[in-house]
This record gives sequence, C-alpha cells and structure tokens, in this order.
Amino acid sequence: MGNSLLSDDGVGLCVVAELKNRLDQAEITILETGVAGLSLLDLLVGYDRAIIIDAIQTIDGKTGQIYRLGPEAFDTTRRTATSHDVDLTTALEFGKKAGLAIPQEIVIFAIEASDVSTFSEECTPEVRKAIPTCIEMVLQELKRG
Amino acid sequence: MKKITIDPITRLEGHGKIEIFLNDAGEVENSYFQVPELRGFEKFSEGRLAEDMPQITQRICGVCPEAHHMAAAKTLDDLFHVDPPGPAKKLRELLYSAFYVTDHTTHFYILAGPDFIMGPEAPVAERNILGVIAKVGLELGGAVIKTRMQNHHIIHMLGGRAVHPVFGLPGGVSKGLNEDERKEVEQIARDSVEFAMLSLKVFDDIVLKNKEYLDMVLSDAYTHRTYYMGMVDEKNRVNFYDGKVRVVDPDGKEFIKYAPREYLEHVAERVEPWTYVKIPYLKKVGWKGFVDGKDSGVFRSTPLSRLNAADGMTTPLAQEAYEQFFSTLGGKPVHQTLATHWARLVELLYAAERLLELSKDPEITSTNIRTIPTATPDEGIGIVEAPRGNLIHHYITDEKGVIKKANLIVATVNNIAAINMSIKKAAQSLIKPGKKITEGLLNRIEMAWRPYDPCLGCATHTLPGQAPMEVVIYNSKGEVIESLSR
Repeated sequence: MGNSLLSDDGVGLCVVAELKNRLDQAEITILETGVAGLSLLDLLVGYDRAIIIDAIQTIDGKTGQIYRLGPEAFDTTRRTATSHDVDLTTALEFGKKAGLAIPQEIVIFAIEASDVSTFSEECTPEVRKAIPTCIEMVLQELKRG
Repeated sequence: MKKITIDPITRLEGHGKIEIFLNDAGEVENSYFQVPELRGFEKFSEGRLAEDMPQITQRICGVCPEAHHMAAAKTLDDLFHVDPPGPAKKLRELLYSAFYVTDHTTHFYILAGPDFIMGPEAPVAERNILGVIAKVGLELGGAVIKTRMQNHHIIHMLGGRAVHPVFGLPGGVSKGLNEDERKEVEQIARDSVEFAMLSLKVFDDIVLKNKEYLDMVLSDAYTHRTYYMGMVDEKNRVNFYDGKVRVVDPDGKEFIKYAPREYLEHVAERVEPWTYVKIPYLKKVGWKGFVDGKDSGVFRSTPLSRLNAADGMTTPLAQEAYEQFFSTLGGKPVHQTLATHWARLVELLYAAERLLELSKDPEITSTNIRTIPTATPDEGIGIVEAPRGNLIHHYITDEKGVIKKANLIVATVNNIAAINMSIKKAAQSLIKPGKKITEGLLNRIEMAWRPYDPCLGCATHTLPGQAPMEVVIYNSKGEVIESLSR
C-alpha cells in the first residue's frame, strides 16, 4: 500500500509491482491500494494470510531499513491516527467484533522512508535500493507458509 | 513560557502539530495549528495530459479521492469547453452521492462519534470506534461497515475500483448503468437512507438529550461568527456536485455568489510566516487577522457552512432534518462549531436520498453518457464541495491539452484560519492558571478542530512511541530557547 504520488510513500507499490511479475499462483492475490484503516479492512476480508508492504517513518530509523512487523507492533498507536479513519489494529479488532473473516496471520514489511511529502512518482535513491531486498523477504515469507 | 503540545493529532488524516504557548501567568497566549506541506505539485503536473488529472489528483489522498476526481472532471469540461449530456451529469452525481455516504459515515462514527458517544473524559483506549460499538451495540457497528461496503460497491460498479475510480472524462463519463445495476443501486440507496435516519437518531439520543454535551455544543468556547461558504443550485439549495458558490455573512445574509471562473475575484490568499499553507480569505472584506465577525474576511467551508449558506435541501427527509437543526439551535446561521457534526449527518441523509432519487431517474440507464469535445483546450476551473469543504482545480494547458500550470485549493485549506481560531478559543477557555492539564482537557481542545474533518493528505505510518515529534520552545521574544525530540 502507499501513495504513488508522494515519493517514498509509494515504495510498497513498487515492491508489489515487481512481485506481480514473479508470482502467479491462484491462491495469492496481489492488490495495490492507497487506502488504510477501515477501507483496508474491506480488502483483507476473506483471506487466510496477508502480507502488507508499506513505507514507514521512525525517529531513529535509517533510510532503506526494512522491518518485519505484526499488527501488535501498532497496538499502542490506537490513539495515534495515521489516516482519516482508524489505524490498522483498531480496524482489525473492529472487523473481528463485527464478525468479518479477517486473516489469521498478518505480516507487515515496512521500509524506512526519507521523503513522503514531495510530489514525485520516484522513490529516493536509498529507498529504491531497498526494493530488491524487500521483494526477497516477501518471497521467503510466502515460502514459510 | 510554558508549552503544551498535542502531537500527533489523534484520529486525523495525516499528521499535524498543535503548539500552545502560555504566558508567564499560565494563560494561553497563542496557539498554532501546523499543516505539513506537500511540496511540488505544480512542477509535478507540468507536462502531464490534463485528461489524466482525474486519475492523478485522486491519488493525492486516500480520503476523498472522488472529490478530486469530480473537481478534475468538471475542470476538464471547462478546459475543453464541452457540456456533458444530462445522463452523464446524473451519473457523476450518483457516484459522488455514494462517496459522500461513505465519507460522512466514516467521519461521524470513527472520528467524531467517540468524543460524544464515549465522552471527552473517557480513557483514551475507549475513545474510538471499539468503544462506540461497545456502547451503542455491535449491530450499529455492522451497519457502519455495511453502509460503507455497499456504497464503495456502487463506486466500483461505475469506476472499476472501490476507491480510486476511473470514470470522469471531459464531456462525460466512461461507464453507465444497466437496469440490473440500477436496481442494485436503488436498494443500496434505500438502506443508506435508513442508516442515515438511524444516525440522526443516535445523535439525538446521545448528544442532544445529554445536557452536558448540549451545553458544550452551545458554549461560547466553541463558537465563532464567521462568513459561510457553500455550493448551491439555482434555487439556493445544497448541491455537492454543481452550482454556484454562495457566501453568507455572519448574519446569514447573502454576501456574494459566484461561478467557478470568478473565484479569483473573490478569494485571495494570505502568507503567514509560521505555516506553509497560504490562507484563503474573502477579498472584498479583507484580511483583518485571525478574528471573526463581519469585518473579517475569514470564512468557513464545512457541512455547517453549507447548511448556513443555503436556503434548504432538495430532498424531503433532509429538508425536515435541516429545519429541525435550525429551529433547535435558534435560527440561521448557526455559529457553534460542534454543530458541524450534526450538520454532517443532515448531509449524510441528503446524500442518501439524492442517491435514491438519481437511481430512479428515467435517464440514469441511458447510453448517452459522453459528448466528445471539439474545441481547443486552454484554461479550465472546476469546483465541487468535498465533504470537508470547497475544492477548486485550475489547469492552464497548451493547445494539445498538456498542462502548463495547475493549482489546487483543497478543502481543508479554506478552513485553516478558522481551525486555528477554534483551537485558540477552546484552549483559552480550558487552560487556566493552576488548573491541572489532563488528557480529557487536551481532548476537549482537539474537539475544537475535529468538526472540520481536516485532511492533511499523507498516509505513512509511524511506530508507536517513536512518532517523529518535535517540541520547540520559544521565549516571549520568539527565539528558540530549547528544542526536544521524542
């Protein structure tokens, strides 16, 4: 997921675009989206596992670093909004309570971004370098399944 | 000088920063609402085909992509000097109404609702949609999800995707509705009308019948007497998709009414040193600072403004709700900012009714959905009402339709002055020397801007406890004396 117009914010979409070339299995659906929160929930419903690839900014992070996280890593952001509606953890819990078929396992690969506020369809160089590594990490994760 | 910072803002699109400065006596001297800047849009647009703008601009933000899409489509009509056929306009408005239903629903239940349904003093962990459904029932939570899903489905039907539709073209739209699809839309619209009525009832039961909340809504701390802007049809009734922009003064009298092409004559922009965003104000009144009143050019562009600026609604149930809104709050115009949440629900009902109306229109399944433009493009301006305010797109192109210059005035920008004023007034009334600053108090300050449903356009995530946060402390001379980061 990501914003394809805002430089590094779109890195997740770059990773996914390449994955589309490398993966062709009926049981894997590859989606690109610019939304989060409740709208993300709509996309996750009905799957057993989900891997989400997105940009992230952390205070001590080094640009291009890749983190493998679970939704619980965002647990204390319940108060911190990252988008118009709810953050991932709250959306998932809401979905579960409402009886939606949420994936049993969700893994998030997050790439440390440098610039997410300049209009550009290109990632910055350090972030671009991380894309092949992230692709391999996702492919490994899928094998783990 | 002491400084209290609420950062990042909760339940908000993107991230922003509020800085409150206290004087030595412990009273609020000033406060600033910072909007992070998205840089380089003009440069980014140069050299692109104008016809791509509905797809490009809707990606600026995952919150109201349809609003950018519609504004861009209307700008293309103007740019290419082409008038879409009637069915095309109706289809655009149909998709737009479905979008409004999803957006206003999301805001009320996920962003605003928790404040009232749980209460501003409720623990942080409960003040969200989970707390809301624990209190009002899982069934309502399910209805929220269902309403959103169904209306996203309508957008998907017409635009090929649930959130970033491919739909608007200069002179029309790319896809229409067949009879089966039309029936589906009609049923979804009926369900949505029911849901909107239920939402108004929830507001009535939980907010209006609660004296503490009603007092808060009516309190002076959350009141400003500004000009109000909204798009209206030829009979001065609310229309989100098309019409003229009408502005009424703080007494409710019509001040100006203009067509999109005239906006530069009426709205000017002010540069302030502490924010990247240029602040719009009414040219003919002039900039008098961050103050309200008839002599100040500050205006508001929100659901509340739209109800104030119009003479009524075009659909019956919404008209009833509109009349009840004003009679309860003491007549027009309403100046209490928290009433915006109620106004949003009146609009939700109108959007659902309008969706139903359009789904039953005999022309809605027509295949006459595009007039191919023949004129040479040069300059186009398109205005729509986005859920969070007036939205303007403006493109200047060469004779082939390649963009030379593009400018957007996005909805939230119209309200920057008012948002700052609302925060400051609330902060001044709540923060008193010697009074303990609690979470609940800080939330009551945040409640001052939440009605504006601000969109700060950025969707990256931050890890908990590691949000890039900067606290800068200024002395009374404005010099930095200390800066901290968490």
